[in-house]
Amino acid sequence: MIRRNWSANEADEWTKEDWIAIILSPACYVLVTLGAALSILLQVSGYIMLAIGIVLTILVHLVIDPKLKAISNEYETKQQTYLQELEAKVRWETTKKNTS
Amino acid sequence: MAVFTFLDWFWVGLFLLLMLGSGILFYRLGKRSESDFFLAGRGLPWWLPASSVYATHTATDTPMWITGVIYKNGMAGIWYTFFCGWAAISAFVSTRIFRRSLAYTQAEWNVVRFTGLGSELLRGWMAGWQFFMNMFVLGWVGIAMGRVCEYLFAWPTWIGLVVFSLLCAIYVLAAGYWGVVMADFQQGVIAFLVIIIVSVWGIHIAGGPTGILDKLAVLGELDRINPFAFTGWWSGDFPIAWFITMMMIAFLGGFGMGTTIDWYVEAQRIQSAKTVRDASYSIWWGTIIGLVRNSVWAVAILAFFVLFPAITDQSEYEMGWFRLGFDYLPAGMLGFFFAAILAIHLSTISSHLNLGALYATRDLYQHYVNPKASEKRLVQVGRISTGILLLGSFFYGLIMEDITSWLIFALWIMAAGIWLPNILQVVWWRFNAWGYLSSWIANLGFSWLVVWILPELNLIPHLLDYQQFWILMILGAMVYFPVTLLTKSEPMDHLVHYYVMSRPIGWWGPVRREAERRGLIMSNGEAMPGADQASRPSDTYPKAP
Repeated sequence: MIRRNWSANEADEWTKEDWIAIILSPACYVLVTLGAALSILLQVSGYIMLAIGIVLTILVHLVIDPKLKAISNEYETKQQTYLQELEAKVRWETTKKNTS
Repeated sequence: MAVFTFLDWFWVGLFLLLMLGSGILFYRLGKRSESDFFLAGRGLPWWLPASSVYATHTATDTPMWITGVIYKNGMAGIWYTFFCGWAAISAFVSTRIFRRSLAYTQAEWNVVRFTGLGSELLRGWMAGWQFFMNMFVLGWVGIAMGRVCEYLFAWPTWIGLVVFSLLCAIYVLAAGYWGVVMADFQQGVIAFLVIIIVSVWGIHIAGGPTGILDKLAVLGELDRINPFAFTGWWSGDFPIAWFITMMMIAFLGGFGMGTTIDWYVEAQRIQSAKTVRDASYSIWWGTIIGLVRNSVWAVAILAFFVLFPAITDQSEYEMGWFRLGFDYLPAGMLGFFFAAILAIHLSTISSHLNLGALYATRDLYQHYVNPKASEKRLVQVGRISTGILLLGSFFYGLIMEDITSWLIFALWIMAAGIWLPNILQVVWWRFNAWGYLSSWIANLGFSWLVVWILPELNLIPHLLDYQQFWILMILGAMVYFPVTLLTKSEPMDHLVHYYVMSRPIGWWGPVRREAERRGLIMSNGEAMPGADQASRPSDTYPKAP
């Protein structure tokens, strides 16, 4: 159901794992926030919301973490090149290179 | 007026020593380069920027504001605190895309995503606007501290504003972002602990959770614990229409960049994280810790409500959480509480001092004034900019009451008409610099008309917030969609380069196909070896000034 192993380049694509995280993540925020407040007020609904919120939080991270690791590993290999380009851009050097 | 014992002053002194120590300890790291002074060398593990996200967004005025909405609306008021909900989606979408762009600031991102004159105009405008906004926030938060000190010690307001901002400036000037983020970690821990202690103490004073519920029942206000107690579909203080609009703005805003004012602060934290994964988690966890804090606060404010249920003056009930601490904490804890308020205060001040200086240094000085500046010179300019921001914040703080309504209006226009363009710039390949620029200009004009001028002339009624939002969004779209479609798309070279680097989400079909056609990405999404080199733009950048 949920993919745990990613090659670096495959992880760059937007897949169902991303959409699971995108959809569940706001639910985590709402359930944990309301659940915590209502739990302090000893409301049963608060305990239920907080428990579901924590379970969803764990689920989101289980789903997305392998993918984020793969993306990070892959991107770090290219980062230095992109940083050099950015520095050239802020120093207006791209134009000079192109025109020279 | 509070009376401090020796133990109280001991806590305050110890805390200030810790903070100033951050500046001395990290002085050598901060001065190494521009990247160190503003991004801690892009090498932080996720929990450090996460604590900074939390600490920065716990400002002196935050408990006042949250107390205000909870005291007025009960637990339903907690929805107002979800303005930070954009982080839920952003952590896995726009944070990831922005981190891959490597732009120091949101202003710089404009020249990564767009190109040509339009992108430079956007960069210049956004850098100037953000420099001003950071100065304004510094003044706003500083004067809130001035009022707390006035309440506590009967000091003139300017003393609280000036003294603590000056102390904070010492470690920001010395160590830059290294000092900010290390101090934020300590401040975040201290602030979170004390918020819990004071809130639990306040709940205890009100009779504990059951005592609060019993007293709410006696007052006939039990509905105040219901987070869904709205005032109807369309009208009242808190209609469902406003709730839905607010949640849409908050959560869907996570697909874009700059959909809330907080984005600009988080952008710096995102880039300081050492990897894409660290950036995502820093935003996600930093925000949810803030939301849990809001939960604890909300119950403490209900405790304050049952203790003092009849306050009608907003400025009085907004001080409710502070009163729980200062009026009820035992002797010796008062100084600890004040030290925590200082932690809350300094974390916000330090972040905005460094962030404003980043825009001034990277986007204005380096890019437009002295592109060949050395790293040493850039750190110097960073420090000078920090000093200018500090002085400007004193000026704004002292005139704040006169300009507050105007500036709230200025913040509102940032949220309404450009909310959708801020998303479109991320998710739609065809949206160009001229479309984005026109959305800012159109929004400025329409906001004045819809919010102030037309209602004053009795040409339209005064509209509710959610009505203003939708009208401004529609009016803006009538300008920026035609402008986008009637002007050229960004050059394909530039878009392909951006796509291969950032891998944005959304409608990027033509760009992706072109990247595949050029062999930069294989059809299954795999990047070809050397794709980052081959996709560089060849002739799309404007000439140097």
